[in-house]
Amino acid sequence: MSVPFREGDALPQLERQVTQDRIRRYAEASGDFNPIHIDEEFAASTPLGGTIAHGMLVLAYMSEMMSSAFGMVWDRGGHMNVRFKSPARPGDTLTVSGEVESVRDENGIVSFACSLSCRNQDGAVVATGDARVRVPVSK
Amino acid sequence: MTSRHVKGVRSSSAGAANVPASYEELTPGQELAPVEYTLDPEAVASYVEAVGAAECRYVPPLAVAARAIASLADLVELPPGTIHASQEFDFSGLVPVGAQVTCNAKVHKKLSRGSMRLLTLELRISDRAGQLVQRGLSTVVIPESPQ
Repeated sequence: MSVPFREGDALPQLERQVTQDRIRRYAEASGDFNPIHIDEEFAASTPLGGTIAHGMLVLAYMSEMMSSAFGMVWDRGGHMNVRFKSPARPGDTLTVSGEVESVRDENGIVSFACSLSCRNQDGAVVATGDARVRVPVSK
Repeated sequence: MTSRHVKGVRSSSAGAANVPASYEELTPGQELAPVEYTLDPEAVASYVEAVGAAECRYVPPLAVAARAIASLADLVELPPGTIHASQEFDFSGLVPVGAQVTCNAKVHKKLSRGSMRLLTLELRISDRAGQLVQRGLSTVVIPESPQ
C-alpha cells in the first residue's frame, strides 16, 4: 500500500440518516434495549425530551469512515477515543468527518493520527475524538 | 444499556451472579464475570444491515464491541436513561463471522458529580485462543435513581 494520506488531508466524509426505525433495528442487532433509545413515551419524560440514537451507533459510523479510509488495517489495529457531546435524534442527518493531523514514518510502517467529528444537519457536534492507525506502506 | 436476548447471538456468563451489581456495590479494580458470546452470521448480518455497513467475512469491530457493551447490563445495574459519555477502543485482531469471543470487564473508575454518576468499565475481548482482539474503556452516565 502506498501512503494513502498526507498531513492536513481530509478523510472521505460519511453521511447517515438517523431514523427511529434504524435505532430500533440497531437495538435489536446489538441487544441494547435501553428505553431512552426505543421508548418514545419514556424518553419524552427524561431531560433529553425524546429518544436518542445509541452512542455506539454514532461510533459505528465513525469507525466505518476510518475503515473506508484505511481498509482492513483499521479493523485489525485501529485506535479510537470519542466523547459524546450532544444526542443524535431521529430525523437527524449525521456527517462524519476527519482530518489527518500527523503522519509519521517508522521504517515502513506509517502512523496516522486523525481528528474525528460527527455533526448533525445544524452543525452541532454530536461526537468528537481522535483516531490512530498504523499502515504498512511500500516505498 | 438494557440487554435482552439478541437473535442469533448465543451468550453465557460464566459464574455470573443472577442479580446485576448496583453502582454502589461496584469498586474500582473489581473484575466482573466473563461473558462469552458467539457472533453468528445471522447476528452479524442484522448488525451490518442496521448500521448500513458493507458485508465482510470479518465481524465489524464495533459489532463485537456493541455486543460486549450490551452484555454489561446483565452484570451491572444500568437503569433506564443511562447514556454513553465516552468510548475508547484499541482493535488488535479481526474476528471471523461465527467466532466465539469472551469479554472480561473490570471497573476502571467511578465518579460522582452532584446528581451525576459516572462509571468507566474496561473491556478486554479475546478470541477462543485467548488472543486479545479488542480493548476498550466505556464511560456511562447513570441517572441518580431509576425513572
